Amino acid sequence: MLKFVAGRFLVSLAVAFTISFVTFFFLNIFTDPAQAVAGEEALFEEIEQIRTQYGFDRPILTRYFEWLGGIFTGDFGVSYYWNKPVGTLLLERAPQTIKLALMSVSVTIMVAIPLGIFAALNPNSIIDRFALSVAVSAQAIPNFWLGLILIIIFSVTFQIFPVSGDKTYYHFILPSIVLGTSSVPPVMRLMRTGLLDVINSDYIRTARSIGFSGWRLVTKHALRNAVLPVISVVAVQLGHKFGGSLITESVFAINGLGRLALLSILGADIPTVQILIFVFAITFIVFNLLSDILNAYLDPRLRL
Amino acid sequence: MKFLRDTFIMSIVFILSPFIALADKSDDTLVIAFTREITNLDYNYGTKTEYIILGDMIDDSLFYVEPENLSYAPSLASDFKIVNETTIDVNLKQGVKFHDGSEMTADDVVYTFNFINKNDKNRRHSKVSGWLDSIERTGKYSVRFNLKTPYANFFNDCYRIKIRKKGIMGTEGNWIDDAQATSNTGLGPYKVISFEPGVEVVLERNEEYFNGPKGKPAIKNLIIRSIPDMGTQQAELMSGGIHWMYNVKKDIGEAMAKTGKADYQLGPSLRVGFLVLDAGGYSGEGNPITKLEVRRAMNHAINRNSIATNLIGGPAKAIHTACNPVVFGCFQDVMKYEYNPEKAKELLVQAGYPNGFDLELYSYRDKEAALAMVDDLAKVGINVSLKHGKLAVLNKARKARQIRAYFGTWGSSASPDTATISNIHWRNPEKGDRNLSGDPKVNELMLGGEQTLDKEERKRLYAEGLKLIAEQAYWVPLWSYSEGVLSSKDINFVQDPDGYPRIWKTTWK
Amino acid sequence: MILKYIFRHTNPDFLNRDFEKLTPKDIMFRKAIYHSGFKFGLLLLSTITFIGVFVPFFVDMSPYDQDISKRLLPPVWSEGGSWQYIFGTDGNGRDYLARIIYGTRVSLTIGIGAATVGMLIGVTLGVIAGYFGGIVDQVVSYILTCQLALPGILFLLTIISIVGSSLTVVILVIGVLHWTLFLVVTRAATQRIRNLDYITAANAIGARKTNIIFTDILPNVLNQIIVIFTLEVGVAILAEATISFLGLGIQPPTPSWGVLIAEGKEAIFFQPWLIILPGIALFLLVISINMLGDGLRDITDPNTNIE
Repeated sequence: MLKFVAGRFLVSLAVAFTISFVTFFFLNIFTDPAQAVAGEEALFEEIEQIRTQYGFDRPILTRYFEWLGGIFTGDFGVSYYWNKPVGTLLLERAPQTIKLALMSVSVTIMVAIPLGIFAALNPNSIIDRFALSVAVSAQAIPNFWLGLILIIIFSVTFQIFPVSGDKTYYHFILPSIVLGTSSVPPVMRLMRTGLLDVINSDYIRTARSIGFSGWRLVTKHALRNAVLPVISVVAVQLGHKFGGSLITESVFAINGLGRLALLSILGADIPTVQILIFVFAITFIVFNLLSDILNAYLDPRLRL
Repeated sequence: MKFLRDTFIMSIVFILSPFIALADKSDDTLVIAFTREITNLDYNYGTKTEYIILGDMIDDSLFYVEPENLSYAPSLASDFKIVNETTIDVNLKQGVKFHDGSEMTADDVVYTFNFINKNDKNRRHSKVSGWLDSIERTGKYSVRFNLKTPYANFFNDCYRIKIRKKGIMGTEGNWIDDAQATSNTGLGPYKVISFEPGVEVVLERNEEYFNGPKGKPAIKNLIIRSIPDMGTQQAELMSGGIHWMYNVKKDIGEAMAKTGKADYQLGPSLRVGFLVLDAGGYSGEGNPITKLEVRRAMNHAINRNSIATNLIGGPAKAIHTACNPVVFGCFQDVMKYEYNPEKAKELLVQAGYPNGFDLELYSYRDKEAALAMVDDLAKVGINVSLKHGKLAVLNKARKARQIRAYFGTWGSSASPDTATISNIHWRNPEKGDRNLSGDPKVNELMLGGEQTLDKEERKRLYAEGLKLIAEQAYWVPLWSYSEGVLSSKDINFVQDPDGYPRIWKTTWK
Repeated sequence: MILKYIFRHTNPDFLNRDFEKLTPKDIMFRKAIYHSGFKFGLLLLSTITFIGVFVPFFVDMSPYDQDISKRLLPPVWSEGGSWQYIFGTDGNGRDYLARIIYGTRVSLTIGIGAATVGMLIGVTLGVIAGYFGGIVDQVVSYILTCQLALPGILFLLTIISIVGSSLTVVILVIGVLHWTLFLVVTRAATQRIRNLDYITAANAIGARKTNIIFTDILPNVLNQIIVIFTLEVGVAILAEATISFLGLGIQPPTPSWGVLIAEGKEAIFFQPWLIILPGIALFLLVISINMLGDGLRDITDPNTNIE
């Protein structure tokens, strides 16, 4: 087990490095960091001056290792667009995104798991078909549109929720529904098939045949076995949420990492964009790693 | 539909109010919204309109523009004397205090201008270093400007420069560029209480504000929020989250006004729109735009009147000159191109493009107007693909010399002089990438117009230059804009004739 | 010909024939007939495709023609709407119905284009990894792991904001970021087939590798690839709408549904139909494609039963 975890950890580390490397090179070759610092209205001379002043004329590898070294010492660079150290920006914006990610995963769990259980307990019933159509629809609804429609319905027509902002938890309800919806299909499907497999498995059939029945059986035995893999999928989905927050945060004007990412892209703020890609990737990698470890813990055959 | 909308508006305030920390009349706090983010408090480092507005609130400068007659008035200066064409003496008001309580003296003014002149990273440097030779202290409250050449837009440039406390931006060779980026020790009618880049700026009235031409604000607290989405701004305005928003298009402004929850003003603006054409062939020699007939055809093809009336509305009007007709020096008797698609087609045939040609048009604001122009140009056979995006994208392409035509606008915020728009747009092509005419004569005339103080001579030079621009169709002048402002029913906000919002004059009803 | 085939396969005699006598093709066909999701998806998709691709040839409408004196007219069912503009007009006085109909073409072009790019990349890498195994396989898996960890939409937006946007760029970039499923499936199938006796034999007698790949391996994974391809078309359409909505994708005046929604967003309080209508179109197209894909998966999977 330890060997497995260590191996996975090393691979994850390598992946993180590769991504940071690719991102840094891509951004620094195809855009002009000096231009980004100089700003929109800069004249030719200004840009050239900044290039030498900030050392953008040095070889790209030197700059990459400097940047990477900076990350390890907690120096994430400075955003010229936001006039702040990127590290400070991240710390300021992260709480909103974490809040949104956790709340949306809760929405996913609250919808997908009961739906999956009911569907599995009554295969081919109306509930099952309903669950399936929810899953199919949720996959086809564009996130940003769902957000706008919820605003039209709940903020404009019925005036139940605020249009946008991030001041209170109340502001996070609609965004969490939007972001949570996109994870409903995979979690629901896994819950359903997982539970169906367990129910049809020999030991539950045996248990049934000797007189255990109904809810007790489901809750006590079947569910416990079926829910664990679901947890690992939820972990992966949580990792997805950070990247997915970009659109939802933009639609609902939440000042989190996702909106920061979009505005930084539009503002050509390279120092912030490259850190954010790295941070989102790391988040994803960490949750995936956790999920892998959990899976391996549950199923020793996976520890290869 | 209407019933639904009305009930919605009635109750949105009701429902949302508990969840939004309402700032209003009772705690003397005015909240306004900007679409574009404020990421830097220092106007000496910024150019966007939002920064001009903020700069006027937290900083002050030697001169100021009176909105009533669009002329320059002394602000931190008490009076001035033009000794000769290149020497100007300025006396300063006494007893003016920075936000930290220290008094402003000639030392601060000298320091500021030296900083602008010698530090090439600030935004005013390239312009000011073109005319400012030196500034000297002639007394505790007086300074003398020595100019390299006569410079007509002196007062405007002085208005643009926010006076900084001596030493606050570092010293020569060790300039601290971001010293005032996130905090501010200014002279303006408001002080910065807190600043969250890209999110909000919280201001409080400067009780020590000197008796300047801006006047003391009536409202004590002012919060500027960055809300990039116009839809969100509307919702916030209706629910009382903000009191004021601007750059509001006609349809939305009028629809909002109909709900009775806000007042809409659509007044005149100094902003003009225009197409800049690559007559000089910078994007490729011999491209269609380098042909005079083609440029004239484009001038004939666009129905500016229709777009100005239908899309922009209010006092917006078609223009025929490369400047706003109301500003100084904007000579009007130039060659005019009426809307005439048939003639445009003929001209294209003459130019050797009977089947038209393909063109990329860059734009960064007023997408609807840009699309309408694309449609107009298509009708005469010019197949335009629109590249609409952030200003940064346009600037990048322009710098790379990839642009054949772009839809530019120029706000000239509170600068009623042709020099402002000309200085940036008709520079020597080596020093700026906006002048695509390839005609040294235009540069000579249009920038010559600011290098003398003789008003008649200036007018003559601009007239020559503007005639040449129109005749050669270096631009397609489009229209003067109108400025739309939505304000809540709680406040009195009066729009000035230049369209520039002087928010500090707002009062409660 | 086709009609005859359908007729033969749908007549009661055929349907009642013994299961054992059916060829695999017949089984698939029979599954398709009983699969309601598949039928619904196919019907919906054909309808949308027909309206989007063919109707403009017969009906005189233009998604580009502007009449700025007729801006923001409401749709026919609203107060002040007229049959001339069934879905009303947009901010430039363009026929909104025409824009939505033409938007189908944009979505389909990008969906199919991007899925093709993804397929080419994924299948190529999958075959290479599966066939050669060893170090090649490990390298490919590593690329896969990295690709999966990339924050998709953020990376997509960054690339497009840098290289600039056009139809081709959007197709290529979306395609380049959506190939992982193709890879996984092709690799697994290739590994399985490679170890089969007859391939080993073919290898031994010196058959050309490309021949083996094209004649023995690809046809075997074709079904799975078609299923994934269909589903990826849906994913790509949504991705395009999203980036266009954020202003970085398809550029106006091309009527992409994402652009339409973005343009309508400013007037969300006063002209909500500008947002609602293109969103519904997008939803219907994607759901029809997804149902078709899910249906194809069930039909081609030999393990599922005829319901």
